[in-house]
Amino acid sequence: MVDGDEVVIDVKGLVRKYHSTTGILHQKKKETVAVNNIDFQVRRGELFGLLGPNGAGKTTTIKVLTTLLLPTSGSVKILGHDVVKESMEVRKRIGLILGGERGLYYRITARQNLRYFADIYGVPMSIRDKRIEEVLERVNLLDKADTRVEDYSRGMKQRLHIAKGIIHDPELIFMDELTIGLDPEAARDARDMTKELVAEGKTILLTTHYMYEADELCDRIGVIARGKIVALDTPKGLKSLVKDTSVIEVEGFGITEKDLDSLKALDGVRTVTANMNEDKQTMRVQVGDPVSLLPKVTHLLEDRKVIGMKVKEPTLEDAYLWLVREDA
Amino acid sequence: MPRLRATVASFRHQAAMFLAEPQWLIPNIIAPFVLAMVVLMLYREPSPEAVLYAVLGGGMMGMWGNTLYASGFSIQSDRWWGTVDAIFSAPSPLIWIIGGRTIWNAFVGIVNGLFVLVAAMIIFQTPLEVADFWLFMLAFVLTLLSLAALGMLFSAAFVLTRSAQVLTNGLEFPIYVGTGSMFPIFLLPYWTHPLSYSLAPTWGIDAIRYAALPAYADGFAAGYWGDILYMSILALFYVTISIWLYKAVDHRARKTANLMRY
Repeated sequence: MVDGDEVVIDVKGLVRKYHSTTGILHQKKKETVAVNNIDFQVRRGELFGLLGPNGAGKTTTIKVLTTLLLPTSGSVKILGHDVVKESMEVRKRIGLILGGERGLYYRITARQNLRYFADIYGVPMSIRDKRIEEVLERVNLLDKADTRVEDYSRGMKQRLHIAKGIIHDPELIFMDELTIGLDPEAARDARDMTKELVAEGKTILLTTHYMYEADELCDRIGVIARGKIVALDTPKGLKSLVKDTSVIEVEGFGITEKDLDSLKALDGVRTVTANMNEDKQTMRVQVGDPVSLLPKVTHLLEDRKVIGMKVKEPTLEDAYLWLVREDA
Repeated sequence: MPRLRATVASFRHQAAMFLAEPQWLIPNIIAPFVLAMVVLMLYREPSPEAVLYAVLGGGMMGMWGNTLYASGFSIQSDRWWGTVDAIFSAPSPLIWIIGGRTIWNAFVGIVNGLFVLVAAMIIFQTPLEVADFWLFMLAFVLTLLSLAALGMLFSAAFVLTRSAQVLTNGLEFPIYVGTGSMFPIFLLPYWTHPLSYSLAPTWGIDAIRYAALPAYADGFAAGYWGDILYMSILALFYVTISIWLYKAVDHRARKTANLMRY
Protein backbone atom coordinates (compact mmCIF):
# COMPACT_ATOMS: atom_id res chain seq x y z
CA MET A 1 0.00 0.00 0.00
CA VAL A 2 2.15 2.84 -1.28
CA ASP A 3 0.96 6.21 -0.07
CA GLY A 4 1.91 8.85 -2.60
CA ASP A 5 5.51 9.62 -3.44
CA GLU A 6 6.89 10.68 -0.06
CA VAL A 7 10.38 9.26 0.19
CA VAL A 8 11.09 7.87 3.67
CA ILE A 9 14.42 6.18 2.91
CA ASP A 10 16.79 8.05 0.65
CA VAL A 11 20.18 6.43 0.06
CA LYS A 12 22.67 8.11 -2.24
CA GLY A 13 26.15 6.87 -3.03
CA LEU A 14 26.39 4.86 0.20
CA VAL A 15 29.80 3.31 0.80
CA ARG A 16 30.73 1.40 3.94
CA LYS A 17 34.21 -0.03 4.44
CA TYR A 18 35.56 -2.11 7.31
CA HIS A 19 39.16 -2.06 8.41
CA SER A 20 40.84 -4.90 10.21
CA THR A 21 44.38 -5.84 11.17
CA THR A 22 46.07 -9.20 11.43
CA GLY A 23 49.31 -10.19 13.16
CA ILE A 24 51.03 -8.62 16.16
CA LEU A 25 54.60 -7.65 15.26
CA HIS A 26 54.03 -7.33 11.53
CA GLN A 27 50.54 -5.98 11.44
CA LYS A 28 48.74 -6.06 8.14
CA LYS A 29 45.80 -3.80 7.53
CA LYS A 30 42.93 -5.06 5.46
CA GLU A 31 40.12 -3.04 3.97
CA THR A 32 36.83 -4.66 3.04
CA VAL A 33 34.22 -2.79 1.05
CA ALA A 34 30.94 -4.18 2.35
CA VAL A 35 28.69 -1.68 0.59
CA ASN A 36 29.94 -0.06 -2.57
CA ASN A 37 28.19 3.05 -3.79
CA ILE A 38 24.54 2.07 -3.62
CA ASP A 39 21.51 4.24 -4.28
CA PHE A 40 17.88 3.49 -3.61
CA GLN A 41 14.73 5.10 -2.32
CA VAL A 42 11.76 3.70 -0.43
CA ARG A 43 8.39 5.46 -0.43
CA ARG A 44 5.95 5.73 2.44
CA GLY A 45 3.75 2.67 2.82
CA GLU A 46 6.00 0.50 0.71
CA LEU A 47 7.31 -2.94 1.64
CA PHE A 48 10.78 -2.96 0.19
CA GLY A 49 12.88 -6.13 0.09
CA LEU A 50 16.63 -6.30 0.14
CA LEU A 51 17.85 -9.64 -1.14
CA GLY A 52 21.34 -10.96 -1.45
CA PRO A 53 23.64 -13.82 -0.54
CA ASN A 54 25.54 -13.97 2.76
CA GLY A 55 28.16 -11.23 2.92
CA ALA A 56 26.54 -9.22 0.13
CA GLY A 57 26.08 -6.14 2.30
CA LYS A 58 22.42 -6.37 3.37
CA THR A 59 23.00 -6.30 7.11
CA THR A 60 25.62 -3.56 6.81
CA THR A 61 23.11 -1.48 4.84
CA ILE A 62 20.42 -2.01 7.49
CA LYS A 63 22.86 -1.10 10.25
CA VAL A 64 23.75 2.17 8.53
CA LEU A 65 20.06 2.94 7.94
CA THR A 66 19.23 2.26 11.61
CA THR A 67 22.13 4.48 12.84
CA LEU A 68 24.11 1.54 14.24
CA LEU A 69 26.96 2.19 11.81
CA LEU A 70 28.33 5.36 10.24
CA PRO A 71 28.61 5.41 6.47
CA THR A 72 32.14 5.75 5.11
CA SER A 73 30.75 8.10 2.46
CA GLY A 74 27.46 8.96 0.80
CA SER A 75 24.24 10.27 2.22
CA VAL A 76 21.40 8.46 4.00
CA LYS A 77 18.21 10.21 5.02
CA ILE A 78 15.51 8.47 7.03
CA LEU A 79 12.16 10.27 7.21
CA GLY A 80 14.02 13.40 6.16
CA HIS A 81 16.69 13.13 8.87
CA ASP A 82 20.36 12.51 8.25
CA VAL A 83 21.53 9.30 9.95
CA VAL A 84 24.87 10.86 10.92
CA LYS A 85 23.85 14.30 12.15
CA GLU A 86 20.34 13.57 13.43
CA SER A 87 20.64 10.01 14.67
CA MET A 88 18.43 10.58 17.73
CA GLU A 89 15.57 11.91 15.56
CA VAL A 90 15.90 8.85 13.34
CA ARG A 91 15.94 6.44 16.31
CA LYS A 92 12.68 7.83 17.68
CA ARG A 93 10.82 6.99 14.51
CA ILE A 94 12.14 3.63 13.41
CA GLY A 95 11.76 0.08 14.68
CA LEU A 96 14.20 -2.78 14.29
CA ILE A 97 13.06 -6.40 14.24
CA LEU A 98 15.74 -9.04 14.08
CA GLY A 99 15.34 -12.71 13.32
CA GLY A 100 17.07 -15.49 15.20
CA GLU A 101 17.20 -16.72 18.76
CA ARG A 102 18.96 -13.76 20.35
CA GLY A 103 17.87 -10.18 21.03
CA LEU A 104 15.65 -10.64 24.09
CA TYR A 105 16.28 -10.88 27.82
CA TYR A 106 15.48 -14.54 28.47
CA ARG A 107 15.54 -14.45 32.26
CA ILE A 108 12.64 -12.04 32.55
CA THR A 109 9.08 -12.14 31.24
CA ALA A 110 7.75 -10.85 27.94
CA ARG A 111 5.94 -8.06 29.78
CA GLN A 112 9.13 -7.01 31.58
CA ASN A 113 11.02 -7.03 28.27
CA LEU A 114 8.39 -4.85 26.62
CA ARG A 115 8.15 -2.47 29.60
CA TYR A 116 11.88 -1.88 29.47
CA PHE A 117 11.94 -1.25 25.73
CA ALA A 118 8.83 0.96 25.97
CA ASP A 119 10.60 3.10 28.56
CA ILE A 120 13.89 3.52 26.72
CA TYR A 121 12.09 4.04 23.40
CA GLY A 122 10.01 6.84 24.92
CA VAL A 123 6.46 5.43 24.88
CA PRO A 124 4.46 7.98 26.93
CA MET A 125 3.90 6.78 30.50
CA SER A 126 0.16 7.47 30.24
CA ILE A 127 -0.30 4.84 27.53
CA ARG A 128 2.61 2.51 28.20
CA ASP A 129 0.82 -0.34 29.96
CA LYS A 130 -2.16 -0.19 27.57
CA ARG A 131 0.21 -0.22 24.63
CA ILE A 132 2.01 -3.28 26.01
CA GLU A 133 -1.33 -5.09 26.36
CA GLU A 134 -2.30 -4.17 22.78
CA VAL A 135 0.98 -5.30 21.33
CA LEU A 136 0.97 -8.56 23.30
CA GLU A 137 -2.55 -9.26 22.10
CA ARG A 138 -1.57 -8.45 18.57
CA VAL A 139 1.26 -10.99 18.55
CA ASN A 140 -0.93 -13.49 20.41
CA LEU A 141 1.21 -13.63 23.55
CA LEU A 142 -1.16 -12.05 26.05
CA ASP A 143 -1.75 -15.33 27.90
CA LYS A 144 2.02 -15.91 28.16
CA ALA A 145 2.90 -12.31 29.01
CA ASP A 146 4.15 -13.19 32.49
CA THR A 147 6.13 -16.26 31.48
CA ARG A 148 9.90 -16.01 31.28
CA VAL A 149 11.12 -15.75 27.68
CA GLU A 150 13.47 -18.72 28.21
CA ASP A 151 10.36 -20.93 28.34
CA TYR A 152 9.09 -19.69 24.97
CA SER A 153 9.21 -21.66 21.73
CA ARG A 154 11.22 -20.25 18.82
CA GLY A 155 8.03 -18.99 17.16
CA MET A 156 6.87 -17.23 20.34
CA LYS A 157 10.25 -15.54 20.67
CA GLN A 158 9.95 -14.25 17.11
CA ARG A 159 6.50 -12.87 17.87
CA LEU A 160 7.96 -11.11 20.89
CA HIS A 161 10.70 -9.72 18.63
CA ILE A 162 7.95 -8.20 16.50
CA ALA A 163 6.21 -6.80 19.58
CA LYS A 164 9.48 -5.26 20.76
CA GLY A 165 10.09 -3.65 17.36
CA ILE A 166 6.65 -2.00 17.21
CA ILE A 167 6.15 -1.14 20.90
CA HIS A 168 6.81 2.57 20.21
CA ASP A 169 4.60 2.60 17.11
CA PRO A 170 7.36 3.48 14.62
CA GLU A 171 6.58 4.83 11.16
CA LEU A 172 9.32 2.81 9.52
CA ILE A 173 10.27 -0.76 10.45
CA PHE A 174 13.41 -2.65 9.52
CA MET A 175 13.14 -6.44 9.53
CA ASP A 176 16.35 -8.42 9.23
CA GLU A 177 15.80 -12.11 8.39
CA LEU A 178 12.40 -12.08 10.07
CA THR A 179 11.54 -15.73 9.51
CA ILE A 180 14.95 -17.35 9.77
CA GLY A 181 14.79 -20.68 11.60
CA LEU A 182 11.01 -20.62 12.04
CA ASP A 183 8.76 -23.59 11.30
CA PRO A 184 6.31 -23.05 8.41
CA GLU A 185 3.39 -22.12 10.66
CA ALA A 186 5.38 -19.60 12.70
CA ALA A 187 6.86 -18.14 9.50
CA ARG A 188 3.38 -17.74 8.08
CA ASP A 189 2.25 -15.95 11.26
CA ALA A 190 5.21 -13.58 10.99
CA ARG A 191 4.45 -12.86 7.35
CA ASP A 192 0.78 -12.23 8.17
CA MET A 193 1.78 -9.73 10.87
CA THR A 194 4.06 -8.02 8.37
CA LYS A 195 1.17 -7.68 5.92
CA GLU A 196 -1.04 -6.23 8.65
CA LEU A 197 1.57 -3.60 9.47
CA VAL A 198 1.81 -2.55 5.83
CA ALA A 199 -1.99 -2.42 5.62
CA GLU A 200 -1.90 0.06 8.53
CA GLY A 201 0.40 2.32 6.55
CA LYS A 202 3.77 1.37 8.00
CA THR A 203 6.77 1.37 5.72
CA ILE A 204 8.91 -1.75 5.93
CA LEU A 205 12.36 -2.64 4.72
CA LEU A 206 12.86 -6.38 4.85
CA THR A 207 15.85 -8.62 4.23
CA THR A 208 15.33 -12.30 3.60
CA HIS A 209 16.89 -15.34 2.02
CA TYR A 210 13.53 -16.83 1.18
CA MET A 211 12.44 -15.93 -2.34
CA TYR A 212 8.84 -17.03 -1.96
CA GLU A 213 8.63 -14.71 1.06
CA ALA A 214 9.98 -11.77 -0.90
CA ASP A 215 7.68 -12.62 -3.80
CA GLU A 216 4.65 -12.80 -1.51
CA LEU A 217 5.37 -9.68 0.54
CA CYS A 218 7.43 -7.09 -1.30
CA ASP A 219 6.24 -4.26 -3.49
CA ARG A 220 9.76 -3.77 -4.80
CA ILE A 221 13.01 -5.65 -4.34
CA GLY A 222 16.62 -4.52 -4.46
CA VAL A 223 19.04 -7.34 -5.17
CA ILE A 224 22.44 -6.73 -3.62
CA ALA A 225 25.55 -8.69 -4.53
CA ARG A 226 29.20 -7.99 -3.71
CA GLY A 227 28.18 -4.69 -2.11
CA LYS A 228 26.31 -3.33 -5.12
CA ILE A 229 22.67 -3.21 -6.05
CA VAL A 230 22.50 -5.30 -9.20
CA ALA A 231 18.74 -4.99 -9.78
CA LEU A 232 15.85 -3.02 -8.36
CA ASP A 233 12.32 -3.75 -9.52
CA THR A 234 8.99 -5.28 -8.61
CA PRO A 235 8.96 -9.08 -8.14
CA LYS A 236 7.20 -9.32 -11.49
CA GLY A 237 9.80 -7.08 -13.13
CA LEU A 238 12.63 -9.17 -11.72
CA LYS A 239 11.02 -12.37 -12.96
CA SER A 240 10.75 -10.85 -16.40
CA LEU A 241 14.56 -10.67 -16.47
CA VAL A 242 14.54 -14.42 -16.94
CA LYS A 243 11.36 -14.66 -19.00
CA ASP A 244 13.24 -16.19 -21.93
CA THR A 245 14.65 -18.81 -19.58
CA SER A 246 13.31 -22.22 -18.63
CA VAL A 247 14.35 -24.33 -15.73
CA ILE A 248 15.07 -28.03 -15.93
CA GLU A 249 14.58 -29.41 -12.45
CA VAL A 250 16.32 -32.72 -11.80
CA GLU A 251 16.01 -35.01 -8.78
CA GLY A 252 18.19 -38.06 -8.37
CA PHE A 253 20.80 -40.11 -6.54
CA GLY A 254 24.56 -40.37 -7.04
CA ILE A 255 24.89 -36.99 -8.75
CA THR A 256 28.36 -35.56 -8.10
CA GLU A 257 30.04 -32.15 -8.13
CA LYS A 258 31.78 -33.25 -11.32
CA ASP A 259 28.37 -33.74 -12.94
CA LEU A 260 27.48 -30.19 -11.97
CA ASP A 261 30.65 -28.89 -13.62
CA SER A 262 29.86 -30.88 -16.75
CA LEU A 263 26.34 -29.47 -16.79
CA LYS A 264 27.60 -25.92 -16.39
CA ALA A 265 29.94 -26.47 -19.33
CA LEU A 266 27.12 -27.45 -21.68
CA ASP A 267 26.44 -24.92 -24.40
CA GLY A 268 23.14 -23.14 -23.66
CA VAL A 269 23.19 -23.64 -19.87
CA ARG A 270 23.02 -20.34 -17.99
CA THR A 271 23.31 -21.30 -14.34
CA VAL A 272 23.11 -24.48 -12.31
CA THR A 273 22.16 -24.54 -8.64
CA ALA A 274 22.05 -27.71 -6.63
CA ASN A 275 21.15 -29.10 -3.27
CA MET A 276 23.68 -31.89 -2.86
CA ASN A 277 22.35 -33.87 0.07
CA GLU A 278 24.01 -37.22 0.67
CA ASP A 279 20.83 -39.19 0.20
CA LYS A 280 19.25 -37.18 -2.63
CA GLN A 281 20.35 -34.41 -4.94
CA THR A 282 18.20 -31.76 -6.62
CA MET A 283 19.34 -29.38 -9.34
CA ARG A 284 17.85 -26.41 -11.13
CA VAL A 285 19.41 -25.87 -14.54
CA GLN A 286 18.54 -22.57 -16.19
CA VAL A 287 18.53 -22.88 -19.95
CA GLY A 288 17.42 -20.80 -22.91
CA ASP A 289 16.11 -23.65 -25.03
CA PRO A 290 14.90 -26.61 -22.98
CA VAL A 291 13.94 -28.66 -26.02
CA SER A 292 17.53 -28.90 -27.26
CA LEU A 293 19.10 -29.10 -23.78
CA LEU A 294 16.88 -31.78 -22.26
CA PRO A 295 18.41 -34.69 -24.27
CA LYS A 296 21.92 -33.44 -23.45
CA VAL A 297 21.16 -33.29 -19.72
CA THR A 298 19.57 -36.74 -19.86
CA HIS A 299 22.63 -38.12 -21.65
CA LEU A 300 25.03 -36.57 -19.17
CA LEU A 301 23.21 -38.11 -16.22
CA GLU A 302 22.47 -41.49 -17.80
CA ASP A 303 24.68 -43.36 -15.30
CA ARG A 304 22.94 -41.72 -12.34
CA LYS A 305 19.63 -42.69 -10.85
CA VAL A 306 17.37 -39.84 -11.92
CA ILE A 307 13.93 -40.03 -10.30
CA GLY A 308 12.42 -36.91 -11.80
CA MET A 309 13.11 -34.35 -14.49
CA LYS A 310 10.70 -31.50 -15.24
CA VAL A 311 10.79 -28.31 -17.28
CA LYS A 312 9.39 -25.39 -15.28
CA GLU A 313 8.70 -21.70 -15.62
CA PRO A 314 11.34 -19.53 -13.91
CA THR A 315 10.57 -18.20 -10.42
CA LEU A 316 11.84 -15.17 -8.53
CA GLU A 317 14.54 -17.45 -7.12
CA ASP A 318 15.78 -18.17 -10.63
CA ALA A 319 15.90 -14.45 -11.39
CA TYR A 320 17.77 -13.88 -8.14
CA LEU A 321 20.28 -16.66 -8.82
CA TRP A 322 20.87 -15.28 -12.27
CA LEU A 323 21.53 -11.81 -10.86
CA VAL A 324 23.90 -12.86 -8.06
CA ARG A 325 25.87 -15.47 -10.02
CA GLU A 326 29.63 -15.22 -9.56
CA ASP A 327 30.38 -14.35 -13.19
CA ALA A 328 27.76 -11.58 -13.42
CA MET B 1 12.46 13.83 31.67
CA PRO B 2 12.55 11.05 29.02
CA ARG B 3 16.24 10.61 29.75
CA LEU B 4 15.67 10.31 33.48
CA ARG B 5 12.95 7.79 32.69
CA ALA B 6 15.47 5.71 30.76
CA THR B 7 17.71 5.78 33.83
CA VAL B 8 14.90 4.71 36.16
CA ALA B 9 13.82 1.97 33.71
CA SER B 10 17.39 0.72 33.42
CA PHE B 11 17.72 0.66 37.22
CA ARG B 12 14.54 -1.42 37.48
CA HIS B 13 15.54 -3.65 34.58
CA GLN B 14 18.96 -4.33 36.08
CA ALA B 15 17.24 -5.23 39.35
CA ALA B 16 14.90 -7.67 37.58
CA MET B 17 17.78 -9.29 35.72
CA PHE B 18 19.83 -9.50 38.91
CA LEU B 19 17.07 -11.10 40.93
CA ALA B 20 16.29 -13.53 38.11
CA GLU B 21 19.82 -14.90 38.05
CA PRO B 22 20.80 -16.35 41.42
CA GLN B 23 24.35 -17.05 40.24
CA TRP B 24 25.02 -13.30 40.35
CA LEU B 25 25.14 -13.73 44.10
CA ILE B 26 28.58 -15.32 43.74
CA PRO B 27 30.48 -12.43 42.10
CA ASN B 28 28.29 -9.69 43.59
CA ILE B 29 27.81 -10.72 47.19
CA ILE B 30 29.71 -13.85 48.19
CA ALA B 31 33.11 -13.19 46.59
CA PRO B 32 33.45 -9.56 47.83
CA PHE B 33 32.21 -10.68 51.24
CA VAL B 34 34.77 -13.48 51.54
CA LEU B 35 37.52 -11.14 50.38
CA ALA B 36 36.52 -8.44 52.82
CA MET B 37 36.37 -10.94 55.66
CA VAL B 38 39.86 -12.24 54.88
CA VAL B 39 41.22 -8.70 54.97
CA LEU B 40 39.34 -7.99 58.18
CA MET B 41 40.89 -11.03 59.80
CA LEU B 42 44.35 -9.99 58.62
CA TYR B 43 43.94 -6.56 60.18
CA ARG B 44 42.38 -7.58 63.43
CA GLU B 45 44.07 -5.86 66.31
CA PRO B 46 43.14 -5.54 69.96
CA SER B 47 42.11 -1.90 69.54
CA PRO B 48 38.34 -1.68 68.84
CA GLU B 49 38.94 1.45 66.77
CA ALA B 50 41.36 -0.39 64.51
CA VAL B 51 38.77 -3.12 64.01
CA LEU B 52 36.10 -0.54 63.24
CA TYR B 53 38.51 1.06 60.75
CA ALA B 54 38.97 -2.29 59.06
CA VAL B 55 35.25 -3.08 59.18
CA LEU B 56 34.39 0.17 57.37
CA GLY B 57 37.15 -0.51 54.85
CA GLY B 58 35.81 -4.02 54.33
CA GLY B 59 32.34 -2.69 53.64
CA MET B 60 33.82 -0.24 51.18
CA MET B 61 35.71 -3.03 49.41
CA GLY B 62 32.50 -4.96 49.04
CA MET B 63 30.82 -1.92 47.52
CA TRP B 64 33.67 -1.23 45.13
CA GLY B 65 34.11 -4.86 44.07
CA ASN B 66 30.46 -5.01 43.17
CA THR B 67 30.34 -1.67 41.36
CA LEU B 68 33.42 -2.45 39.29
CA TYR B 69 32.35 -5.96 38.39
CA ALA B 70 28.84 -5.00 37.44
CA SER B 71 29.94 -1.90 35.48
CA GLY B 72 32.25 -4.06 33.43
CA PHE B 73 29.38 -6.32 32.52
CA SER B 74 26.68 -3.72 31.99
CA ILE B 75 27.12 -3.84 28.21
CA GLN B 76 28.87 -7.19 27.99
CA SER B 77 25.69 -8.91 29.13
CA ASP B 78 23.79 -7.21 26.28
CA ARG B 79 26.37 -8.59 23.90
CA TRP B 80 25.55 -12.06 25.23
CA TRP B 81 21.79 -11.56 25.00
CA GLY B 82 22.05 -10.01 21.54
CA THR B 83 20.18 -6.94 22.77
CA VAL B 84 23.00 -4.47 22.22
CA ASP B 85 21.55 -3.37 18.83
CA ALA B 86 18.22 -2.52 20.44
CA ILE B 87 19.89 -0.68 23.33
CA PHE B 88 22.22 1.25 21.09
CA SER B 89 19.54 2.22 18.57
CA ALA B 90 17.17 3.46 21.28
CA PRO B 91 16.44 7.20 21.28
CA SER B 92 17.75 7.43 24.86
CA PRO B 93 21.48 8.25 25.00
CA LEU B 94 23.54 5.27 26.19
CA ILE B 95 24.90 7.11 29.21
CA TRP B 96 21.42 7.46 30.73
CA ILE B 97 20.79 3.75 30.25
CA ILE B 98 24.15 2.74 31.69
CA GLY B 99 23.66 5.31 34.46
CA GLY B 100 20.55 3.49 35.74
CA ARG B 101 22.35 0.17 35.68
CA THR B 102 25.38 1.58 37.46
CA ILE B 103 23.23 3.07 40.23
CA TRP B 104 21.56 -0.33 40.74
CA ASN B 105 25.00 -1.94 40.90
CA ALA B 106 26.12 0.59 43.49
CA PHE B 107 22.91 -0.08 45.42
CA VAL B 108 23.74 -3.80 45.51
CA GLY B 109 27.19 -2.70 46.61
CA ILE B 110 25.61 -0.89 49.60
CA VAL B 111 23.71 -4.03 50.55
CA ASN B 112 26.93 -5.96 50.27
CA GLY B 113 28.83 -3.33 52.26
CA LEU B 114 26.22 -3.36 55.03
CA PHE B 115 26.25 -7.16 55.01
CA VAL B 116 30.02 -7.16 55.55
CA LEU B 117 29.68 -4.50 58.25
CA VAL B 118 27.06 -6.41 60.21
CA ALA B 119 28.84 -9.76 59.79
CA ALA B 120 32.15 -8.23 60.86
CA MET B 121 30.57 -6.60 63.92
CA ILE B 122 29.11 -9.95 64.94
CA ILE B 123 32.30 -11.92 64.26
CA PHE B 124 34.63 -9.42 65.94
CA GLN B 125 32.05 -8.47 68.55
CA THR B 126 32.59 -4.81 67.79
CA PRO B 127 29.51 -2.61 68.06
CA LEU B 128 29.39 0.14 65.44
CA GLU B 129 28.88 3.20 67.60
CA VAL B 130 29.14 5.98 65.09
CA ALA B 131 30.05 9.36 66.47
CA ASP B 132 27.45 11.19 64.36
CA PHE B 133 24.82 9.00 62.70
CA TRP B 134 23.44 11.57 60.20
CA LEU B 135 26.83 12.77 59.03
CA PHE B 136 27.84 9.12 58.76
CA MET B 137 24.81 8.44 56.54
CA LEU B 138 25.46 11.52 54.41
CA ALA B 139 29.05 10.45 53.82
CA PHE B 140 27.90 6.90 53.14
CA VAL B 141 25.32 7.89 50.49
CA LEU B 142 27.64 10.39 48.80
CA THR B 143 30.40 7.81 48.74
CA LEU B 144 27.99 5.39 47.10
CA LEU B 145 27.18 7.99 44.42
CA SER B 146 30.88 8.69 43.91
CA LEU B 147 31.44 4.96 43.44
CA ALA B 148 28.63 4.91 40.87
CA ALA B 149 30.26 7.87 39.10
CA LEU B 150 33.61 6.07 39.05
CA GLY B 151 31.88 2.89 37.83
CA MET B 152 30.27 4.88 35.03
CA LEU B 153 33.63 6.28 34.01
CA PHE B 154 35.09 2.78 33.78
CA SER B 155 32.03 1.35 32.04
CA ALA B 156 32.51 3.80 29.14
CA ALA B 157 35.82 2.11 28.42
CA PHE B 158 34.27 -1.32 28.90
CA VAL B 159 31.65 -0.62 26.22
CA LEU B 160 34.31 -0.74 23.53
CA THR B 161 36.16 -3.79 24.72
CA ARG B 162 35.37 -7.47 24.81
CA SER B 163 37.95 -7.90 27.59
CA ALA B 164 35.93 -6.28 30.37
CA GLN B 165 36.55 -9.21 32.70
CA VAL B 166 40.32 -8.81 32.47
CA LEU B 167 40.05 -5.10 33.14
CA THR B 168 37.72 -5.50 36.11
CA ASN B 169 39.99 -8.12 37.65
CA GLY B 170 42.99 -5.86 37.14
CA LEU B 171 41.34 -2.79 38.64
CA GLU B 172 39.88 -4.39 41.74
CA PHE B 173 42.91 -4.46 44.05
CA PRO B 174 44.54 -1.16 42.99
CA ILE B 175 41.35 0.62 44.07
CA TYR B 176 41.14 -1.30 47.36
CA VAL B 177 44.69 -0.23 48.15
CA GLY B 178 44.61 3.19 46.49
CA THR B 179 41.48 4.41 48.26
CA GLY B 180 42.72 3.40 51.69
CA SER B 181 40.08 0.70 52.13
CA MET B 182 42.62 -1.93 53.19
CA PHE B 183 44.98 0.28 55.22
CA PRO B 184 45.68 4.00 55.62
CA ILE B 185 47.08 5.78 52.60
CA PHE B 186 50.03 7.22 54.52
CA LEU B 187 51.48 3.70 54.60
CA LEU B 188 51.77 3.75 50.81
CA PRO B 189 54.78 5.20 48.96
CA TYR B 190 54.53 8.93 48.54
CA TRP B 191 54.39 8.77 44.75
CA THR B 192 51.10 6.86 44.90
CA HIS B 193 49.33 9.59 46.86
CA PRO B 194 48.28 11.75 43.88
CA LEU B 195 46.59 8.69 42.38
CA SER B 196 44.82 7.92 45.65
CA TYR B 197 43.61 11.49 46.02
CA SER B 198 42.29 11.52 42.45
CA LEU B 199 39.83 8.77 43.46
CA ALA B 200 36.62 10.16 44.94
CA PRO B 201 36.01 7.13 47.22
CA THR B 202 39.32 7.86 48.98
CA TRP B 203 37.76 11.08 50.32
CA GLY B 204 34.48 9.29 50.96
CA ILE B 205 36.09 6.61 53.10
CA ASP B 206 37.91 9.29 55.06
CA ALA B 207 34.66 11.22 55.60
CA ILE B 208 32.89 8.04 56.76
CA ARG B 209 35.67 7.41 59.26
CA TYR B 210 35.51 11.01 60.48
CA ALA B 211 31.81 10.54 61.20
CA ALA B 212 32.21 7.08 62.73
CA LEU B 213 35.39 7.14 64.77
CA PRO B 214 35.65 9.28 67.91
CA ALA B 215 39.43 9.37 67.43
CA TYR B 216 38.89 11.56 64.38
CA ALA B 217 37.12 14.21 66.42
CA ASP B 218 40.10 16.54 66.39
CA GLY B 219 39.77 18.87 63.44
CA PHE B 220 36.45 17.25 62.53
CA ALA B 221 34.77 20.15 60.74
CA ALA B 222 37.59 20.88 58.32
CA GLY B 223 38.39 17.21 57.80
CA TYR B 224 34.86 15.92 57.26
CA TRP B 225 33.49 18.75 55.14
CA GLY B 226 36.75 19.00 53.19
CA ASP B 227 36.44 15.31 52.33
CA ILE B 228 32.81 15.76 51.27
CA LEU B 229 33.74 18.74 49.07
CA TYR B 230 36.66 17.01 47.34
CA MET B 231 34.62 13.85 46.83
CA SER B 232 31.72 15.80 45.29
CA ILE B 233 34.00 17.75 42.95
CA LEU B 234 35.73 14.58 41.80
CA ALA B 235 32.42 12.72 41.33
CA LEU B 236 31.06 15.60 39.22
CA PHE B 237 34.29 15.55 37.25
CA TYR B 238 33.85 11.81 36.60
CA VAL B 239 30.28 12.36 35.39
CA THR B 240 31.39 15.19 33.08
CA ILE B 241 34.16 13.05 31.63
CA SER B 242 31.73 10.12 31.31
CA ILE B 243 29.28 12.23 29.29
CA TRP B 244 32.07 13.22 26.94
CA LEU B 245 33.41 9.67 26.80
CA TYR B 246 30.02 8.19 25.97
CA LYS B 247 29.64 10.59 23.06
CA ALA B 248 33.07 9.50 21.84
CA VAL B 249 32.15 5.85 22.41
CA ASP B 250 28.93 6.28 20.42
CA HIS B 251 30.88 7.73 17.50
CA ARG B 252 33.69 5.19 17.68
CA ALA B 253 31.34 2.20 17.98
CA ARG B 254 29.46 3.34 14.90
CA LYS B 255 32.69 3.92 13.03
CA THR B 256 34.54 0.73 13.89
CA ALA B 257 31.50 -1.58 14.10
CA ASN B 258 32.90 -3.32 17.18
CA LEU B 259 30.03 -2.73 19.60
CA MET B 260 28.11 -5.87 18.70
CA ARG B 261 31.07 -8.25 18.69
CA TYR B 262 31.30 -10.57 21.62
